[in-house]
Amino acid sequence: MSSLSEEYVETDVGKVQVFRGGDGAPLVYMHSAAGEAVNPTAEKLADWFSVVSPVFPGFGESEGVDKVDDMEDATFHHLDLFDRLGLDAVPIVGLSFGGWMAAELATRYPGRVSRLVLVNPVGLYIEGQPVKEIFGRTPAELAEDMFADQSHPMAQMMHMLSEFRGDVGQQIEVPMELVLPIWKSMSATAKLGWDPYLHNPKLRRRLHRITAPTLVIHGAQDTLAPKAIAEAYTAEIPDARLVDVEGGAHLLALEKPDEVTDLIREFVSS
Amino acid sequence: MRFFSFHLMPYPDLPSDYDGPAWVTVPNQFYDPNLGSGLYNRYLDELIYAEEVGFDGVCVNEHHQNAYGNMPSPNLIASILARQTSRVRIAVVGNALPLYDPPTRVAEEFAMIDVISGGRLIAGMVVGGGPEYYSFSINPADARERFQEAHDLIVKAWTTPGPFEFIGKHFRIRYVNPWPRPIQQPHPEIWIPGAGSLETVEFVARQRYAYMGIPYFPITVFERMFRMFRDACEAEGYEADPLQQGWLVPIYVAETDEQARREYEEHLWYFVKRLLPGITIQPPGYTSVRSLGNILKSAGTFMLNLETWDQVVDGQYAIVGSPETVTDLLIENLSRLGTGNLLGLFQLGTLPHDLTKKNLALFAEQVMPKLRAEFPEGQPVHRPSAAGQVA
Repeated sequence: MSSLSEEYVETDVGKVQVFRGGDGAPLVYMHSAAGEAVNPTAEKLADWFSVVSPVFPGFGESEGVDKVDDMEDATFHHLDLFDRLGLDAVPIVGLSFGGWMAAELATRYPGRVSRLVLVNPVGLYIEGQPVKEIFGRTPAELAEDMFADQSHPMAQMMHMLSEFRGDVGQQIEVPMELVLPIWKSMSATAKLGWDPYLHNPKLRRRLHRITAPTLVIHGAQDTLAPKAIAEAYTAEIPDARLVDVEGGAHLLALEKPDEVTDLIREFVSS
Repeated sequence: MRFFSFHLMPYPDLPSDYDGPAWVTVPNQFYDPNLGSGLYNRYLDELIYAEEVGFDGVCVNEHHQNAYGNMPSPNLIASILARQTSRVRIAVVGNALPLYDPPTRVAEEFAMIDVISGGRLIAGMVVGGGPEYYSFSINPADARERFQEAHDLIVKAWTTPGPFEFIGKHFRIRYVNPWPRPIQQPHPEIWIPGAGSLETVEFVARQRYAYMGIPYFPITVFERMFRMFRDACEAEGYEADPLQQGWLVPIYVAETDEQARREYEEHLWYFVKRLLPGITIQPPGYTSVRSLGNILKSAGTFMLNLETWDQVVDGQYAIVGSPETVTDLLIENLSRLGTGNLLGLFQLGTLPHDLTKKNLALFAEQVMPKLRAEFPEGQPVHRPSAAGQVA
């Protein structure tokens, strides 16, 4: 597993953090609302590709959250970043929120995306099967949707955070180093995904414009983003197929890195 | 010292077996409109009664989809009060500006209330509580930005001859020209409620508006809040006027200390345990990173967490007792905080009509005169040395 190294890139919205690693042909990873720019899947992919994993404005140490208000801004930001990094037509892997952003880019600028991999994507609204609430629930509740196996270290951390409370009536010292990244991630996600809730009503009828061969990966135990969304992407994108990964929930890149990496490597190299 | 009677208009009849939040998702089938009809009229009577017994003003506020306060439109209640009272200031504390699109609606309605009441409106402007962002699906991540822009537009609408064009990021109106214009010039007194966010404190100090401390925290949190406000005014180059500060606190007065607790305690717990749950939900982006630490630090001291009466008394979450006790506690605390406006919640939770009226009457007859004598208008209220001596 290759390690990713951090660098900063000046973009249209300010300085953003980018993690890179590996040799070979470039591949972009777009993280979810969890902000996992560095994760086991991206690291494993760096054994095969030259991985570029940018941190979206507002997440981590990336600036510019005040300049990104909607998916149009997000798409222009990605175009700008790609230009500065010399990325022309690249394979993009996006998890959840990242998958949605990748699809938005691919509908507007199909030529910039050579292969598209959507892992548990959000971005579409399916009547009667909405994405579950992420903004008003405790970390422990979210962990149940994010991981099939609650013993995963991040699931454990989320349960721990929920149990954290001070003595009644006392001022408390909150572990800011744990709370702050989550706070920033959720705030940045809300800018684009609060209303309409984690979808773009116009995206579905634009999906026919995507020219890249597309792989949609669904975690069989994902209870956050219904499979119907993955199915709708698969149905609307001209060259797309859907695979299930057993034993994984929403944050598949963290929970099932071997399976996801194999699927992506095989698909992108074919 | 100016005295205000603040009413939340709570719903006192949640089913006893319901233990969920009182906000956002509390099933509206629990609301009985026939009971509600009586409640609105009773609560209005209590506000009008405050004028009769000698209060300087009354306060109403805005909350949505909840059992805690049934005034989704405080302006409707204020407009009734504009007709049914003749002397008191009517403070709407406030309108949640980001929920109004376009916000010129607020400029219009506030001006109407000001004109109908003959210039008695106090215009409160607020970002809105966390739950409001769930109930309206308004994006909390740009709440502060929308608030600022809406505020600028409203004040400009009152002070700049129309028509003019306003082109902002969130609101674009090509012809701003509201009729009527407010009676009070250049505009009605503006109050901003806050819970200690630095941005809000600095904004209020810069604009020379009045800062109202949001309740349900221990007295030490208020002390820090108003010290922060005085410092912010000083940084702007002036000394904070006591009338620029207001402390909102539940108050209950009865004949003796024992009787006060006996009559009041169950109603307070209904409020704490049934109506507060859900109020603290913090939507993403609603608070700046800068303020997050402060808010999290105070979170454990929020009234919702209380379990015993001793905690209520120790933290001074509510001021309860005989007229003498209440007078002493208020003199001590007002000296500590330095606020020239006292906003009392005289009805809380399930507190019934007769006890609410008795509370208002006893306070007005036996507490208010002593406080007026202790804190004459135009003189400083903040007396750190005096505080503590009384206790």
